[in-house]
Amino acid sequence: MPNKERDDDERERCVTGIDAIDHILNGGIPRGNTVLISGSVGTGKTSICIEFLIRGALEGENSLYLSVTEPTEKLLENVIPFDFFDERLTKQGKLQFIDLPKTYEKLGIDKEDMDFDQTRLLADTIVQVVEDQKIRRLVLDSVTSVCYRIKDQERIRDFLLRLGTELSAKGCTSLLVSEIRSSDEGYSQWGVEEAIADGVIVTGNLERRGDLLRTLQVVKMRGTTHSRAKYVLDLTTSGVLLVPLLKGGSVATGG
Amino acid sequence: MASVSVIADVADKLASLPDSSAVAMRLKSEQYFDTIQGMLDRFARKKDLEVVYVTTTIPSQSIISALEVLEIPMDHIWFVDCISQIMMSQEKRHPHAIIVESPTMLENIMLKVEFVLRKHPGRNALVILDSINSLAIHNNTKILSEFLHILVNNLRSRGAYTIIFSMQEYETEEIRNMLVLVSDETIEVGE
Repeated sequence: MPNKERDDDERERCVTGIDAIDHILNGGIPRGNTVLISGSVGTGKTSICIEFLIRGALEGENSLYLSVTEPTEKLLENVIPFDFFDERLTKQGKLQFIDLPKTYEKLGIDKEDMDFDQTRLLADTIVQVVEDQKIRRLVLDSVTSVCYRIKDQERIRDFLLRLGTELSAKGCTSLLVSEIRSSDEGYSQWGVEEAIADGVIVTGNLERRGDLLRTLQVVKMRGTTHSRAKYVLDLTTSGVLLVPLLKGGSVATGG
Repeated sequence: MASVSVIADVADKLASLPDSSAVAMRLKSEQYFDTIQGMLDRFARKKDLEVVYVTTTIPSQSIISALEVLEIPMDHIWFVDCISQIMMSQEKRHPHAIIVESPTMLENIMLKVEFVLRKHPGRNALVILDSINSLAIHNNTKILSEFLHILVNNLRSRGAYTIIFSMQEYETEEIRNMLVLVSDETIEVGE
């Protein structure tokens, strides 16, 4: 009978470098996992992803950010000025940024509704970059925007499966940003993303007696035991910090 | 005028404690600034501690002004100010003051303390919670106990001192029980 704890030990980890998240995940994300970072606007998804990449690059892991919704220059202007960021990482190519709309152009994907071949071409192109650049950490921000152009659930499933499988085979740990509304019940726009991902980390806003707290919760992570509790997070220049959500003040008990 | 006896009493009692102690500091209102002076000017400076002062009672700028009068240097003193925002205070913000929107945001207090400690790795720290009485105005006993339990144990594991102010005039039975639960020692100022 498999020993769960031993399984945890045996699976190589991608140590995110965000101490609290590594603690929640018993040492980090299992290497090669595809993880959905799901949440509504302003909950810290992009900051978590950027820190994940910078921390990786600082440890010598080539890291790639694929930006769909925002040009890289604008993104970098608005991102938290992390104390630990070192400009040399981008100059040395350890930390790379690609604007996906430019890739669409290069690939001749000009339609708003990608067909099957274009979807495959896009997945293969990303995988090729990962292989060529020996990328170990990848962020796709956001997978929701890509899926909007694919539209069809079957093609979305094919795209995500192909991407996830290939990246995992190359030892690349991926975070896919999923944009949802706070009122949504699931963790993704199309429902397919959360089913295919190896892990789901949900960020959110919790209103408690008029205070708005940013929260984070690991809902699913294949290949490791993990906490499923809700944490409160803060986005600081020292990185993402987390503390447990105090239960005594939960909405259910009236605070 | 400062009471030398209170200042010395506070400094001496704190100096006799083992490292990473969690202390309930019971004081009267008139002993407030002398206690702060004994703590910051005598004890923390002598021990070369990084101080995180969580204020939920008086805006940080008022305490900073008092420290300036007392000529206590601010280099190693940081404020987590949980009261200025809800008071809609227009006062200028000192670069060593970090704002928490409200004393009800207990998790954010923990996060800001963590942030300051991370900024100064390798230095021993003293975290002051001023005060449990004002925190009890804004929070129920259940969540406040949980907060203190997590905060104090976290600080203890990092080797930091914790001092929790309790103003004797405003103490309740619940507050006293809470302090007994989380602190290693109780210091009665001036006794």
